[in-house]
Amino acid sequence: MSGIDEIRNFVQELLTRQDDRRPLADNDSLLMSGRLQSVDAVEIVLFLEERFGIDFAELGFDREQLDSIDTMAALVQNAGSRS
Amino acid sequence: MADEVVTQAQIPAKGRGGVSDFRLIPRLETYPRIVAFAQSTLGKIVLLGLFTAGMRYFLPDLNVTLRFVFVFGFITFLPDLRWPVLTLCPLVFLVQNNLHHPLVLTASLLVVATGMFLYWCATRWPKSRFGRRPLVFLLTGYSLLIVLACGTRPHTRPYLVLWTLVGTAIAYLWFIAYAVTDRSSMPRNDAGRELATFRPLWGSTGVPFPKGAAYLRRIEAKTPEQLAVVQLKGVKLLAWAILLSLLQHFWFRLFHGFLHIPMPAAALAASVHGTPVPWHLRWASQILAFFELIFSMSILGHEIIACCRMAGFNALRNTYRPLSATTLIEFFNRFYYYYKELLVDFFYFPAFLRYFKKHRRLRTVFATFAAVVFGNAFYHITRDWQFFRDRGLWGGLASYQVEIVYCVMLAIGLSISQLRKRGARAKGFLRGHLLPVCGVGLFYVLISVFETDTRTFTVAQTVRYFASLFFIRL
Repeated sequence: MSGIDEIRNFVQELLTRQDDRRPLADNDSLLMSGRLQSVDAVEIVLFLEERFGIDFAELGFDREQLDSIDTMAALVQNAGSRS
Repeated sequence: MADEVVTQAQIPAKGRGGVSDFRLIPRLETYPRIVAFAQSTLGKIVLLGLFTAGMRYFLPDLNVTLRFVFVFGFITFLPDLRWPVLTLCPLVFLVQNNLHHPLVLTASLLVVATGMFLYWCATRWPKSRFGRRPLVFLLTGYSLLIVLACGTRPHTRPYLVLWTLVGTAIAYLWFIAYAVTDRSSMPRNDAGRELATFRPLWGSTGVPFPKGAAYLRRIEAKTPEQLAVVQLKGVKLLAWAILLSLLQHFWFRLFHGFLHIPMPAAALAASVHGTPVPWHLRWASQILAFFELIFSMSILGHEIIACCRMAGFNALRNTYRPLSATTLIEFFNRFYYYYKELLVDFFYFPAFLRYFKKHRRLRTVFATFAAVVFGNAFYHITRDWQFFRDRGLWGGLASYQVEIVYCVMLAIGLSISQLRKRGARAKGFLRGHLLPVCGVGLFYVLISVFETDTRTFTVAQTVRYFASLFFIRL
């Protein structure tokens, strides 16, 4: 399974827990639109740290980076190319 | 990104049907003919007319209403000039409102200039000590200003100047905080946009509604259709605020005017002075206060966000169905959204990303305490700076003793709420909805005993009152 697929599955799971079964595109806004909340952002941070080894304290943190599947995938890619 | 954010607003959410989908005010922004009409000249005039009528309800001064509506009308018909207007108007109004208070005006302009200078420093030298931790410098600087002011002798010139500066700076502190932390957002905002968010045209409390310039850029309406949708949502929200305000008026007359149920501060004072009100009235007072706080927070937030939407920004509501929250953390998120965001942005995430990274539970608890105890206390202690002026440095800090208990209880509750495994909700209305909602409400009703703005009573007196709710005499 590729990185973006894993991210998509994880986000889908977060949405399902909240009974949000609306269609989800990779560029859909998640946090800014209110579909996911700060507590979900924490779970996304933990997921990205544990699964992809991202260190936000070092990279700098902006919640916009977690706003869609695409931005998360880009973050993972950038972090991978830096290390 | 902003395009998608606004477009999503047009898609009706798929609910589960039934009561949860019922809306007193229909989702007008999802009807294509209404959206098309709102884009026409006549439609814009109608929307502005409805908005003016709504604002007239909240603003008793006709001149202020007209001035306000003229600016929003200008933005509606010339959206390309939105940002210059939003930048200039608050400054013009600031000067206009303080022409007869030269010291306040000078202090305000000095604070705004300092804020812009700090923003410039943070973007110019992002790798410097200040650039890496701008918030630490900002909050420390403001704290030192209070300490300095506490050291002046009353009724001297330095006393007057410094306390004016303290009072003015707190009005801008969290706006500047968003500006200096916006430094990493891409593409970078220009200085004018940052300036527009320093106490923006649509109003705010000490908390920036809705956050800083980087956030506003993402939620800005980019096309006439998006603007129409956002403005329809704005007018609807204003109508909702008016309905709630009328209901609140009726509520106060019924419970406090007709049934004579005391306000919590009065019930607490009566207990402290040895003439407690009956047990059932103490409970009624606390429960009513819970709903009254939701009323006032909703009305205030809806009015501000309605104006923000009229300016063309698809901001989320400040209060969104708090009484449907089934967990403590969900209620905290729904009740005062932008304050919660402030705590999360400036205290929770910095602590969460930096400390105890190998201990997941401890990390969550520590970050929660950083936000809900330290951040919450810092916000309120500095917001109520008058206590320092009137009682001195230690007296001002000591006056917060009861609310610290509130902060700690809230932090414990929110920590547990986050650590509990989030799985599928229990089935059925009773176990899945009613009982959790009542449990959440009861928690906030109980801890609100310790949330007092008057700062008149000690922890011991408040604890005795709290215990008396359960027939316990201490």
